[in-house]
Amino acid sequence: MAFRIEGAAQKRAPAKLWPLGLLLAACLAASPVLAQVPVAPPQTEPQVPQVSAPCDAPASDIATPTALPHLSDALERKQPIRVLAIGSSSTVGVGASSPNRNYPNQLSALLQKSFGALELTMVNKGVSGEVAAATADRIKTQVALDKPTLVLWQVGTNDALSRVSVESFGETVRTTLRWLRSHEIDVVLVGLQYTPNVVKDDHYHAIRDQLRKIADEENVLHVRRFAAMEFLSRVKGSQLLVQDNLHHNDLGYRCMAEHIAHAMVVSSFLRKKSRIKNVPQN
Amino acid sequence: MPLRSANAVDFWRGVALVSIFINHIPGFYYERFTHRNFGISDSAELFVFLAGWSARSLAGRRDTLSMQNMILRVGGRGVQLYAAQILITMVAIALIAMAALWWENPLLLEWHNAAAVFQDPVSTHVGLVTLRHHLGFFDILPLYVVLMFGAVGLAVLHRAAPALILPLSLLIYLAAHIWRLNVSTWPVEGEWLFNPFCWQLIFVLGFVCAGDGALDYGRQNARRLRILGAAIAIGGLGIVVFHWWPDPLNMPQPSLLFVLDKSYLSPLRLIHALGLVLLFAGAFGGLAAKMPWMASYFCLLGRNSLNVFCVGSVISLIGQLARFRFGGNLLTDTLVLVVGLSILGLTGWLSELRARLRNAPLQNSGP
Repeated sequence: MAFRIEGAAQKRAPAKLWPLGLLLAACLAASPVLAQVPVAPPQTEPQVPQVSAPCDAPASDIATPTALPHLSDALERKQPIRVLAIGSSSTVGVGASSPNRNYPNQLSALLQKSFGALELTMVNKGVSGEVAAATADRIKTQVALDKPTLVLWQVGTNDALSRVSVESFGETVRTTLRWLRSHEIDVVLVGLQYTPNVVKDDHYHAIRDQLRKIADEENVLHVRRFAAMEFLSRVKGSQLLVQDNLHHNDLGYRCMAEHIAHAMVVSSFLRKKSRIKNVPQN
Repeated sequence: MPLRSANAVDFWRGVALVSIFINHIPGFYYERFTHRNFGISDSAELFVFLAGWSARSLAGRRDTLSMQNMILRVGGRGVQLYAAQILITMVAIALIAMAALWWENPLLLEWHNAAAVFQDPVSTHVGLVTLRHHLGFFDILPLYVVLMFGAVGLAVLHRAAPALILPLSLLIYLAAHIWRLNVSTWPVEGEWLFNPFCWQLIFVLGFVCAGDGALDYGRQNARRLRILGAAIAIGGLGIVVFHWWPDPLNMPQPSLLFVLDKSYLSPLRLIHALGLVLLFAGAFGGLAAKMPWMASYFCLLGRNSLNVFCVGSVISLIGQLARFRFGGNLLTDTLVLVVGLSILGLTGWLSELRARLRNAPLQNSGP
């Protein structure tokens, strides 16, 4: 059970300076002369993490930004954020050189950087080789025990290989997404894994399409791992997978974490912008 | 001639074995007919309850089996189970590796928590042998091993202070729920799927229920207990079909006591499993009279449960690989079911043939 509370202590000090910064910014904005002077705003908005060169893929291959309202709220209210990472072996971090290099832990560090002073807890409950129905069962208990703000659900690969029917897979995912939404918990779906061997596998693609369709219909952020990894392996020839072509090596997990972090931060930002747009102007 | 006459315990154990075989194939068509779809517990509860029941006869009686012999007998069964776990795990790893090689699909290596075996073999082999790393669906025997070694203590306690058994078991169960105690896995961080601190309770309940006192009570109150069992079974069905049970998020603390969790054998699951036992405890006679073929098949499996369980685990995995290769359609699933059930029956039959041949010379050369 990986249980990490990262950066809570060292990040607290700057938090105390925030009100001062905000006050200063407000004074500057109120002054007609000084308002012209570009002033670096205090870091109240999440900073979008840069995707590193080896992991850089077209944004359309990574994810379509989709609102994460509860994450945005927590950020706005400066509440601690709890993330539950659940799924199979890519969540566990099989193939990583150390537990710190699995994707949830790398993602945790990236989000910490982006979200600044906030306390972020990442709970990793990956079980290698698990199908969606088994994870869906665990999600309910884990959510009750951990009360996360957001669930990262890495799903689909094992259902595709176990030939779970597309309908039954879809039903499981959809029901669980709706249950999570009814409890005001955001979800990020992390899609199927890519290896060249499954390109011709019809059922694999059917499950992949189904996941994408559900994410669209349920308006859930979906990180399209297959497309991003296919792009990287095809165009950049990145050695994302370790020797046996199976698992992400540390770089692979880094790309996965970077892609998810990017999608999450952009999505949390998106909601803020849209909300600002909707605020009636005086 | 079977080794012992058909009886309810063997019959229901056979039923549990078949349903474990079916449930261990994700997406399998026939999975929808197993009893976990009609209630909140599954065949694992039944299997462990009956294991506790059988441990009672293994532990024997004070007047017929000395303490030393009892310890050797129960402990020896633990060693046998451990050996079985290592054997089927190695076979499963090899099957997964063979399939990945054969069909050139490395994603198969990830199945059932096997990835760590191939990615991190040095640590994982230590984990496998020390039962700290389990393959998915190969995780009930480790529980059984722990319970059987624990049963040595249980049997000793049973002779010394039987009244302490249930309170002590319940205390361990509650402590595990309140403080979230479980055995951790290694090298992959996680917890045992079958939390032994919790699952020991249903084993102990099986052990206690197999006692003369409990059996007499059961016989005297058969009707009342059956009605209670029926009410519980209907409640379980209602929870599944009509979602009668409140949401896990609305539960008071410690919430583990009120959710429907398999790892911790939540009280509700336990009650449901016991309800089914009460409801069906007297049903064997009627079933055997109406469907003697079915009864003798399930009893055959139940009498040879360890061998059948091991073969069943491996066939479930072969069934999954068959589905991967030929698609998850009704034809594949029906073939897997028919061939699988036949092999389970053959395993039972061969096990008994072997036992009979082993016993035969002894019988012939008797005084």
